[in-house]
Amino acid sequence: MQSGEAGGPRRRLSMREPTVNYARAQPSADAATAPRARLADWTPSCTARRIHALITDKESALATGKDGNSHEAWGSRIGLILAMAGNAVGLGNFLRFPRQAAANGGGSFMIAYFTALILLGIPLMWIEWGLGRNGGRYRKGHIPGMFAAIWKHPAAKYVGAIGLVVPLVVMIYYTYIESWTAAFAYFSLTKDYWGITTQDGMVGYLQSFQAISADGAKVYHHTYTPYLFFIGTLFINIFVLSKGIGGGIEKLAKIGMPILFLFAIILAGVVLFLPAQPGIGATPWNGLEFIYKPDLSRLGEPGVWLASAGQIFFTLSVGMCTLTAYASYLSKKDDITLNGLATAATNETAEVVLGGTIAIPAAVVFFGVSGAMAIAQSGSFNLGFATMPVVFQQLPFGNLLGVAWFGLLFFAGITSSVAMLTPITAFLREEFGLRREPVAWSLGALCLLFGLMHVHWLQHGVLDEWDYWAGTFGLVVVAVLEVIVFMWIFTPAKAWESMHEGADLRIPEIFKFVMTYVTPLYLLYILAWWGWVDAIPILLREKSAGGGPVNPADAPYIAFSRAIIVLLAIVAVVLIKMAWVRNKYDDRKGFAVADHTGEAA
Amino acid sequence: MSTSAILFMAGSWTFVLGLTFWSFAKLMKDNQHFDPDGLGPAVPPKPAETEKSPG
Repeated sequence: MQSGEAGGPRRRLSMREPTVNYARAQPSADAATAPRARLADWTPSCTARRIHALITDKESALATGKDGNSHEAWGSRIGLILAMAGNAVGLGNFLRFPRQAAANGGGSFMIAYFTALILLGIPLMWIEWGLGRNGGRYRKGHIPGMFAAIWKHPAAKYVGAIGLVVPLVVMIYYTYIESWTAAFAYFSLTKDYWGITTQDGMVGYLQSFQAISADGAKVYHHTYTPYLFFIGTLFINIFVLSKGIGGGIEKLAKIGMPILFLFAIILAGVVLFLPAQPGIGATPWNGLEFIYKPDLSRLGEPGVWLASAGQIFFTLSVGMCTLTAYASYLSKKDDITLNGLATAATNETAEVVLGGTIAIPAAVVFFGVSGAMAIAQSGSFNLGFATMPVVFQQLPFGNLLGVAWFGLLFFAGITSSVAMLTPITAFLREEFGLRREPVAWSLGALCLLFGLMHVHWLQHGVLDEWDYWAGTFGLVVVAVLEVIVFMWIFTPAKAWESMHEGADLRIPEIFKFVMTYVTPLYLLYILAWWGWVDAIPILLREKSAGGGPVNPADAPYIAFSRAIIVLLAIVAVVLIKMAWVRNKYDDRKGFAVADHTGEAA
Repeated sequence: MSTSAILFMAGSWTFVLGLTFWSFAKLMKDNQHFDPDGLGPAVPPKPAETEKSPG
């Protein structure tokens, strides 16, 4: 804190100036002008201060941007990390990871998985935090601005358009899936599915909810039920978004993440002590062996390495442009290296320790190893929405455990989906000077419009189509572009220096080489492989995005859903052009520094 | 569980839990570079001279 900040010079600080900059106050001239309220906030015990900070919000009007137009800030470091981790921890941690581990050689998968974490995941995490914070210096919380700030070329902003489209598209269908978890939490509480005790029966129940039941199958739900849950879930998302970074997203993370971990720990504890069932004879430990048993012969298979790299990629939410958007609300005095590592570690704990201990071991106890294998191969959603409800019905307080399971998935989902609208919200606010609330609710209307398409046409594969192009292939494309812009165009030396501004952790020098060469080559390999094996056949409709057989009757729906993505991309490009003209940006000169420290670059 | 599976599980858990505890311990200990951290001052600010009631 600079001398006299509380007095006249305060106006020099932007609205992102931290709430409690007095934390750095020297007890001299600064204290002389410190407001009384700040003195009152001080507590004598270091531990008490930390606990107090963990459980309370210290955001002020400055941090929460209550004026509606200010650039916002994080209110606390723990809030930032929880929000970042909440963004990363998603449905995939609890449904996708155990399935991938079991299907790809168990212990062999874990070797490839941790290799990918070190060479791909954590470096990309640091790159995204660095790229985001660098963009924040120019008050750019969106990829077009972040790219243009570094790559001073007219094409940079248009290349960055993908960073607006991908998170928006993913958010739309992801919120719909998230609404399933909310619905099943409610169905668990009310014991709506109680009595359906077979896997096939629960699959039928899930399909009834999704309104995709086969002809003649029993229908359990009204046709409007999935629409109601989708609209409700979307409303919660938009409400949180409309409250901003400090007042909405950070508060959600501070509430949602502890609940998520609490539910996960309870469920893992219950599963680990499940007794062997009559006629099955398997224990949870057989389930853990199913995941971790090393089949080292599979280490030579490219598929295992690609599967593990893909899992690391998706679980850390890299390429989603959400980490960059969140990091843009940091100043160059703030640490990003240790925060980034803590975020990745938190996500890995949720995935490896908790995610691997719940669904698959529970399925093995009640269905045996071969039954669990068949369930795992039938898809993540069957494991989560059909198998687990069958398991809960066999347990004491099963409906409450069902609420915990689906509540866990709901909080994992919402802390991710809210983040996905942050990049485009930042773009509209920063470039067009729009207020947060109208932007949030307008985006909500857009998400509702296109989300209803997924609810209505789920059986035609439109969700799988969007999931592939935006949520799978698109993420890798974005990540490749981010690495090229930040590590190659910005130059490794500048990127390295930028990442270490304000750093609490010195990254080992070897990672400079890794981030410059290994990570981009790893990504390009994944992109090329997936492009050849999946993207081209899916594009040509030789293969379905969902993995099932191609149904010619779905072709018009698929074409329509693709057209919407293209339309959104065109709109994004037009908006970028308008923003650049409106704000008279010079592509070759870049942007003026707007770092909230008020210091020159 | 077989010994090899236990070893892989123990190794995996140790790695991620170790990384998590180490990073958070360092974060709490070396909390120097995050201005809006909400942790308050390291030492209590002295009451301002100008805020004392006039003698």
